Formats: sequence, C-alpha cells, structure tokens
Amino acid sequence: MIRPAQAASGALRQGLRAGYATAALVAAGLLAAAVFPLVAGGYYVRIVTGIYMFGVLASAWNLIGGYTGYPDFGGAAFLGIGAYTTGILLGQHHWPFAGALLAGCLLAAAVAAGMGVLLLRLRGHYFAISTLGFLLVLQQLAANLGITGGGSGMNLPVARSFTGFYYWMLGVLAVAVAVGEAFPRSRAGYALAAIRENQDAAQVLGIEPLPYKILAYATNAFFFGAVGGVYAYWFTFIDPPTVFNIDFSIQAVVMCLFGGPATSLGPVVGAIVLKSLDTILTNVSLFLHNVFFGALVCLLVVFAPRGLAELVRAPEGLWAAIRAELREHRI
Amino acid sequence: MSPELQVALQNAVNGLLIGGTYATVAVGFSLVWGLLNVVNLAHGALVMLGAYITYWLFTAYHLDPLLALPVAGATLFAFGYPLQRVVINQVIRASFFITFLLTFGLELLITNLALAAWTADVRSVTTAYSGWGLPVGPIVLPVVRGAAFGVAVAVAAVLHVLLTRTRLGSAIRATASDVEAARLMGIPVAHVYAVTFALASASAGVAGGLISLSFPIFPAMGASYTFIAFVVCALGGLGSVTGALLGGLLFGLLQTYAADWLGPNFDNIVAFSALILILLVRPAGLFGRARRFRG
Repeated sequence: MIRPAQAASGALRQGLRAGYATAALVAAGLLAAAVFPLVAGGYYVRIVTGIYMFGVLASAWNLIGGYTGYPDFGGAAFLGIGAYTTGILLGQHHWPFAGALLAGCLLAAAVAAGMGVLLLRLRGHYFAISTLGFLLVLQQLAANLGITGGGSGMNLPVARSFTGFYYWMLGVLAVAVAVGEAFPRSRAGYALAAIRENQDAAQVLGIEPLPYKILAYATNAFFFGAVGGVYAYWFTFIDPPTVFNIDFSIQAVVMCLFGGPATSLGPVVGAIVLKSLDTILTNVSLFLHNVFFGALVCLLVVFAPRGLAELVRAPEGLWAAIRAELREHRI
Repeated sequence: MSPELQVALQNAVNGLLIGGTYATVAVGFSLVWGLLNVVNLAHGALVMLGAYITYWLFTAYHLDPLLALPVAGATLFAFGYPLQRVVINQVIRASFFITFLLTFGLELLITNLALAAWTADVRSVTTAYSGWGLPVGPIVLPVVRGAAFGVAVAVAAVLHVLLTRTRLGSAIRATASDVEAARLMGIPVAHVYAVTFALASASAGVAGGLISLSFPIFPAMGASYTFIAFVVCALGGLGSVTGALLGGLLFGLLQTYAADWLGPNFDNIVAFSALILILLVRPAGLFGRARRFRG
C-alpha cells in the first residue's frame, strides 16, 4: 500500500524530471536555432527568419483570438505602427535600433489599449469587422499624413549585417512563446478563459472583463509592433499597403488555427508547417502562392474547424472525427 | 441663392444618388446576415465580379452598362446558388467565427483568381453619356448617377416584394426564424438558404455594375465595399430591405458631406468613426429592431 505522502513525493519527483527534460529540450532547441546561421546559407537564414516572424504573429494572435476568444483581424494595424515608429525614429531621428523598436512596440500596445476600450466592448461579428475597419483607417492615415511619407513610402538605413535580423526575430519569438506558455497559468489567463467560455457568467463571478481583455489585446499588439519594427529595418522600405496589410492578420489567424489555438507551441508549429509549404509553392508558381491561403482557409474551416491538432488527437480517429464535425455543422 | 446653400444642396443630391448604389451593395449583405446569420466577407468580391462582367460586356461587345446589369445579376445568381448549397451550407450551423473565416477564405480565393485572370490594372467604364449633367434649377443632376439611383430603388423594391408578398419570401422568412420548424413544414431548407444567398449575390452583381459606371474597377476593390456594406447595415439595421435602403442613403450623405469638409482621402476614417459611434450608442441600428425576421 502506498501512503498519500509517498505518492505525492513520487509525483513531485516525476514532475521535476519532466521539468528537467523540458528545460533540456528548450535549451537544445535554442542552441540549434542560435548556431543555424553559422552552418546554413543566406537563403535559408532568410526563409527561417520569415518563419520566426510568422511564429511571433501567430503566437501573438493566440493571446487575443485563442485564449480570449476575440477574433481580431486588425493585427496588421499594430504591425504597421511598429514599422513606421521604428522607421521614423531610426531613419529621421537616428535612434539606436533597439530603442526605436521598443518605442514602436510600446506605441502599438498603447494604441491597442486605447482602441480596446472601444472595440473590446463589442462582441462577435461586430468586434471582428470593426478591427478590420480599424486596419483600413490606419492604412488610410499612413497614406495621407506627412510624417509617414504618404503613399510614396519610407526608406530606412541599410543594416550592416542581415543575420542580425535572424537573431532579433528569434529573440522576439522566444519571448512570445514564453508569454504564451505563462499566460494561461496566470491570474489573467484564468480570467480570460472564463471570459472566453461565458463572459456573462465570468462577470457574475466578479471578473471585470474589460481590463483583462485590454491586457491580452495590448500584449498581442506589442508583439505585432515588434515584428513590424524588425520587418521595416530588415526590408529597408515600407509603404502603407505593405505593412498595413491584411495578409499579415489573416496568416496569423490561419497558422494559429492550423497548429492549435490556446496552446503555447501550436501557433509556432502552424507557422513552421504553413510558411515552409508556402515557400515551396512560391518557388513552383506565384499563382499557387496567391491562392494557397484562400484555399487553405476554406478547407480548414470546413473539415477541421477546431484546428488540425484537435482532429489528430481525436479518440475516434481522423476520418470519423472529420465526418462527425461535418454532420454537426451542415444543414 | 447663396453659393454655400447651392453647394450644400448639390452635396445632398450627390450624396443621395451615391447612397442608392451603397444601398444596393448593402442589401444583399444585410439579407445574408439577417436571414442566414452569415457575415459574408466575400460579398465585396461578388460586387467586383459584377463590375468586371459589366466592364467586359461593354469593352468587348459594346453592350451598354445599364443593359449589362441584368446579365451581371443573373450570372452572379448562378454563381451564388452553388456557392451556398455546396460550400457555405457545410458550416452554416457552426459558430460565427467559422462562417466568418470561410467567407474570408472565399474572398481571398475569388480576388486572387481575378488577379490572375485580369491583372491588377485599374479599369473603368466610360460611356458616351458618362459626363452628362442635367441642370435642375440651381443644381446639376449627374445623369449616370441618377440612372444608378433608379436601378437601386428598383432592386430594393423587387427584393422587398419578393420577401414579403410571395410564397418563396414566406419560405425564406420562415426558415430564418426557425429552421427546424420550417423543415417540419416541408420547406427544403438547404435549397431556401441557397436561393437567399443567390438573390443576395445577384444584387451584389447589379451593385458591381452600378459601381463600374462611376468608380474604378480592380480585383482587390471588394474589401472596401464589404466594409461599406457592414457600416450601412449598422446604420440601417439587419435583414430588412428598407433598413439597407435608408442606411445606404444616410451613408451616402455622410460620405459626401465629410468628403467636402475633410477632403476625399479620409472616407474609411469617416465610415469607421460612424460605425463605432453607432455600435456603441445604438447597436440595433438607427431605425432598427435587430434580427427583424428572427423573432
């Protein structure tokens, strides 16, 4: 017979061992990522930097769309704010890149907090399409204001080394994944899970929804801003349609859904799989690249509306799960 | 008459006339949202298809754009029916997020296929009577926009009569208010959903034709019209033809006066501000009871 205390200490030891194993895996992964540019050619470094970039976007969207259940389609608005802030501070005011980047992230988060007060009161369709509208507004502002260079865009100084961007994106990704991992276990994470499942019930339990939703929204915007800042310096040229681009928002959503929303690594897996596939398709034909995400979204929501991860894990098997999902939602 | 008053009056006329086109853009979107509970993000892409049909009939066969409107409507009807029947019906009972994403995927697909077929070139339809204006007292009535307004009112009237006075309309409204009860009454609900969507698509096709008369045409034009349709629905309320018509006219006036005041480059900002204001202050629309046909 095992006494409870003994069982508990056994479980603790097992948990610790699992913790060490995870820590070792994370360390090995980070080390492999860190030495990658030393062994791989410039082309592959650029491709992987792009994968990290979308890993950050998908992880950031996961905070508001996955954990909170507020499908934001305007993330590119914050990407654009980060890009333009970095561009203006770096190019016109000669700030160091790190400072300009941080300023861009903070401004994106602040704008999200301010807009969140209005937008996060809306639910469902109204929230989703209002965020789309907000993106259109910022694109139009950037095209018409003097400080952004208007429709003709803005040039940034050219960086000395392009591998630097690889490490910037890797660093931002590591922070985004860590936040995604810690988030659901925090007080805010529990509150947001309650809000996602039933906002009115959460409110009855004494959870004031708006501040928590604003926190998730602003954190999401912070990471979109970070990607925008690195992207701007990396590509050295930005204009309103390339950074305030709905494609960034939609790809983040699709990658997160594909890999598994409300999990810390799902969005990264989604970004790795889909960005790799997209790169291969782009090499085959530009047309395939253009229709890829549209076709993928349609297939994904019809056959796997709760994400591919959920289907693979389904106890009744893949095909039975797909058939059950279809039967449930069709008319 | 003072020049200020004259400008204000001319703006009112211009706003109401363009509002008719906005109403035609929005009426199908409003029906699909109110009756099928689907926010159709591909609606603007359907408008784009209607515009291109009109453009090609005019450019290749010299068919007058106003005569091309029925062709655009019929083609989009034939396109919309299988789209709903085969594709959207598969997820019609899923959460709003799923149907929202599906129609977004359709929008991406249609827009990118159009881009591959017709390139990103900006095109326009210029008829012999495009620049004509009819002087009425102190103001000028632009002929093309006047004709577009007439078509818009006719489309709204036809849809209104269809929905409220015919057997098909009764079936559509019954299905919207209770699918299971409608099915028990022998209404083929999958077919009724598809017909509703096809009617909305047809009106989007006609709207595209009207837009081609006075605005540029390009494959990515749809997104901003979807947004306009959404704002018009927020103004006028959902699922009713008269709501879409009133919302469209109001939005046309708002855009025209705002463009006169701020310049023409801030139309999305004006639309967004109006949307947020309406949603926060009067979420059911200015004139409306929300979910009119849903009980």
